[in-house]
Amino acid sequence: MTAVNSRRVSFAGRIDRSQPLTFRFNGKSYRGFAGDTLASALLANDVALVSRSFKLHRPRGIVGAGAEEPNAIVQVGSGARTIPNLRATQVELYDGLEARSSRGWPGLRFDIGAITDRFSRVFAAGFYYKTFMRPKALWKYSEYFIRAAAGFGVAPTDADPDHYAHRNAHCDVLVAGGGPAGLMAALVAAKSGARVILADEQNEFGGSLLFATDLIDGRPATDWVAATVAELQALDNVTLLPRSTVFGYYDHNFLAIAERCSDHLGAAASGVRQRLWRVRAKQVVLAQGAFERPLVFCNNDRPGVMTASAVSTYINRYAVCPGGRAVVFTNNDSAYQAALDLHGAGATVVIIDSRRHGAGALGSLASETGIPVLQGHIVCDVAGREHVTGVSVAQWDGDPSESVSPSINIECDLLAMSGGWSPAVHLHSQAGGKNVWNEELLCFVPGVAVQQCVVAGAGNGRFSLHDALQDGIDAVGAALAKIGFKAADLTPPSSDGSAGRPTQALWRVPAALDPDRCPKQFVDFQNDTSVADIRLAVREGYCNVEHVKRYTALGFGTDQGKLGNINGMAVLAECLGETIPAVGTTTFRPAFTPVTFGLGAGENTGLLLDPLRTTAIHECHQDAGAPMEVVGQWHRPWYFPHAGEDLHAAVNRECLAVRTAVGIMDASTLGKIDARGPDVVTFLERIYTHNIGKMAIGRCAYGIMLREDGMLMDDGVMARIGEQQFYLTTTTGGAANVLGWLEKWHQTEWPELEVYLTSLTEQFSTIAVAGPKSRDVLKNAGCNIELDQDSFPFMSVREAELGGIPVQLFRVSFSGELAFEVNVASRQAATMWRQLAAAGKEFGITPYGTETMHVLRAEKGFVIVGQDTDGSVTPVDLRMNWLLSKDKDFLGKRSLARPDCVRDDRKQLVGLLSEDNRTVIPEGTQLVTDPAAPTPVPMCGHVTSSYYSASLRHPIAMALVSGGHARKDEIIFASLADGSAVPVRIVAPVFYDPKGERQHV
Amino acid sequence: MSEALITAKVLHDCGHINLRGRRNDAAFVAAVESVCATSLPQALTTAASGDLRIYWLGPDEWSLVTTAEKTAALLAALNGATAGMHVAVNDLSAAFVTLALGGSKVRELLAKGCTIDLHPAAFASGACAHTGLAKAGVLLALQHVEFRLIVRRSFADYLLQWLHRSGAEYGIEFV
Repeated sequence: MTAVNSRRVSFAGRIDRSQPLTFRFNGKSYRGFAGDTLASALLANDVALVSRSFKLHRPRGIVGAGAEEPNAIVQVGSGARTIPNLRATQVELYDGLEARSSRGWPGLRFDIGAITDRFSRVFAAGFYYKTFMRPKALWKYSEYFIRAAAGFGVAPTDADPDHYAHRNAHCDVLVAGGGPAGLMAALVAAKSGARVILADEQNEFGGSLLFATDLIDGRPATDWVAATVAELQALDNVTLLPRSTVFGYYDHNFLAIAERCSDHLGAAASGVRQRLWRVRAKQVVLAQGAFERPLVFCNNDRPGVMTASAVSTYINRYAVCPGGRAVVFTNNDSAYQAALDLHGAGATVVIIDSRRHGAGALGSLASETGIPVLQGHIVCDVAGREHVTGVSVAQWDGDPSESVSPSINIECDLLAMSGGWSPAVHLHSQAGGKNVWNEELLCFVPGVAVQQCVVAGAGNGRFSLHDALQDGIDAVGAALAKIGFKAADLTPPSSDGSAGRPTQALWRVPAALDPDRCPKQFVDFQNDTSVADIRLAVREGYCNVEHVKRYTALGFGTDQGKLGNINGMAVLAECLGETIPAVGTTTFRPAFTPVTFGLGAGENTGLLLDPLRTTAIHECHQDAGAPMEVVGQWHRPWYFPHAGEDLHAAVNRECLAVRTAVGIMDASTLGKIDARGPDVVTFLERIYTHNIGKMAIGRCAYGIMLREDGMLMDDGVMARIGEQQFYLTTTTGGAANVLGWLEKWHQTEWPELEVYLTSLTEQFSTIAVAGPKSRDVLKNAGCNIELDQDSFPFMSVREAELGGIPVQLFRVSFSGELAFEVNVASRQAATMWRQLAAAGKEFGITPYGTETMHVLRAEKGFVIVGQDTDGSVTPVDLRMNWLLSKDKDFLGKRSLARPDCVRDDRKQLVGLLSEDNRTVIPEGTQLVTDPAAPTPVPMCGHVTSSYYSASLRHPIAMALVSGGHARKDEIIFASLADGSAVPVRIVAPVFYDPKGERQHV
Repeated sequence: MSEALITAKVLHDCGHINLRGRRNDAAFVAAVESVCATSLPQALTTAASGDLRIYWLGPDEWSLVTTAEKTAALLAALNGATAGMHVAVNDLSAAFVTLALGGSKVRELLAKGCTIDLHPAAFASGACAHTGLAKAGVLLALQHVEFRLIVRRSFADYLLQWLHRSGAEYGIEFV
């Protein structure tokens, strides 16, 4: 069923009647036009009821026409592409658009939750805290229903198929907001030669001019907008971003903009859906305009009650008149425009002006037009439940504390209200700026800016069109001067500059009953916060504005109090007998309006979430079918299964191959650093704990480095290449950190030392050939140097060639076997891998992965930094005292003498053997001395490494145990997840070849 | 996308030499400049001579990029000319992958992942910078209208995938 646009008026507006569109709202089909928002199209179709309120489930209608909308919160689209919590006032209509109310279940008209409204005195401020948080036992039953009933839309459950992107940008001047002040500022900046970005959240530039009836230079204001935009478009130093919300203002003039590239295209959308602009601006002009405040009277939340400027917007911009019989209720001049617009659209209008003196020029215009005006009157209550049917009006003498007696009832279907204007100080505040109360304008205006920004236009309290245009010129002129530009000499076009008569302070409209007993006077529509709630919060001791916010939910939700906050603070001030500036505002935080998760993620999803680094030999491992283990960002082969083998079978086979014949492993991810210079020995002596100067050229040493606090930071083998040149290796994960650590000490503490450090990690790949037959493999591979024990002893390094390829050969071992590591330029690494595999074929050479490497080193008791250590382990805890030189100072040495570092009960590295000889204790298992002790059972340590050893035919484990070094042969217990306690014996952490004979052959 | 607005090409024929030395050591500077037949570039710029381009990496660090064929000779010449000085000359030819990026939308593409200002006024021909592109560290330089992107070998696959995905909206062609 397609309903007709019964509320459409004959004005042209800014809709395109040649492009009719069909859309669905809550399952029903409607018609609208290109240029409509979902809200304007709904109003055109006389759809007044758009949602149920958050807590009380009261029927709600559209209140505003922009970002401030609290009620018309909709879920747009379906399936994986759906977006929850959009403001219907900001959703551009497209053909086939599907939307539904974010709230109101099972249906808007038969909302089950509406029963809460009948008991609304029970559902007062703090209700959730009071009832459902205590007793706690109840919450687990009630939470599901409360969350379902109070929910704000549904997140999609499928992966988002759309494309989101990021874009970094720099500019001299970022102008946030493309209304009269923003356009004027952008034009001046652009003509001054500055690099300008102009962002505006709407689909077209113009801001308030898109619905204004003002004339600029004697012509419709939109003509000036079009001419100005065309002028800006023609300049190549200007980036125009429509549909782009500047939603965050962060430190160092860094701002975030959400550009909605294709949301408005519906099914026709392609390419990037939304783009996050990350802007570094030298100067920012904030020209975000102002929000019109509602008035706070009884039942002011009924559908059909709207802000006056929203009414003007719907009439002038969207050619929709939201009512036929209208009442305009105001405390200031601006709403008279809405009355004139309503009159022009054919509606009957009555103006209720709380001020006894009435309005200025617009007032005269209204009188001339024949619109009745009741001065010194207020609307004190609204009739109608699902739609306004009338209002009660009372005479009022200006005393806010007295009750009034309604004397007139006016039938109407639309109530346009205006409680004055509040500058949108959000970005100014996010940037750290304070706001200053202006008693004349009755609003907060931006105070001194903390960052490099200026505020212009209505957002600066310059509400008349002429003032806004002039302020745009002045503000950007000041900004340009600060960055060395001479501002182009522009004067504002001629426009209306009349200020009207002053706004009257009317924060809570008096009613027939006192504020705690009268029908609800809503301050925050979205959170159902009423005047009575704020008063209750104060009575219960919540007096600070931030406490009141959290107790009453004032200013929470998708609109973050854009409509209600100032009224709420004024009500609070009245309650406390304070002034509004003394009460102050809550904190403004990003985002100005909600942004999607897709926007934040951009293109960094799936494979691009984190760089995946592979070694130069990766292809060979893939060909061999090796599963990969992620180590930091590296993908390393985990094990090399034969057909039918699982991890354990493959690892057992690989381990035995290394112990009995020969294995080959890709160790390329080790960090590699070239360190050289006249002072390299001095430098390294300070970094490493052992004696560097005693190392002979061509020899290797195992070295460790400590942080200043004495804790083990990294380890690795180093080699002395020359008198003034060393080759250092680091752990895989520590490569970048260690180089940064060395550079930090060199550059900041010891710049006098002549040392250069260069990363060789990517230049060289490393292939470990380990096992009794490794020497034979190298010989077979065409090694050009002698490899016997005398010519090339354990822990030495040689330049060599293997099959004609130059390599650096290290005779080092991480398995305890006779072993070599081959360093080869990465471009030749895959070739070298294949050559070694071929050369080792006759010896049964077996490729092995990280898992076997771990088992082999654990059998030897070699620690892995980051697995057997966690940043709280000293070398003494690891029994590495032999590495700590007594002849020199080194980083961390003094910390090792701290009382905490010499405690007897420090956790120390030990070996563990399961008493049953078969249980492999899971890594991370907690150890206890007495499992029968009363709970909580004191823990004495934890397992750091644990494997089944195929060579030893039993499990082995390493653990950090309190006072462990002195507890050899003690039986303690591993406390397993199933509650059982497995007895384990503390042993020395060297399980295989304890004398180390096998690597010295 | 009908026409690719960006072209990307992996330059295989490159040799990279990392050079460390003291800029204020006249003998060092003279030795290097005589070998290279060009002066060492100032901060954030490059210098070129024939097949050789020198990228400034830091106050005492440069990257010399030439053809693979000429790398060994350049390495030997540098080692010879700076013998006895406090320098570090390392062949890092296998450590890097070099890409050439061109096309009318190349700055827009790079700006998607790079936080520095790439406007022609801020990053002109001859400029170079060690910076980040998406989640990889890169050396970025501009030669006339073509960008050079030098990335560590193990990050190259990631960066190519990033270029592929991020360049899709403009149309990117790998040549």
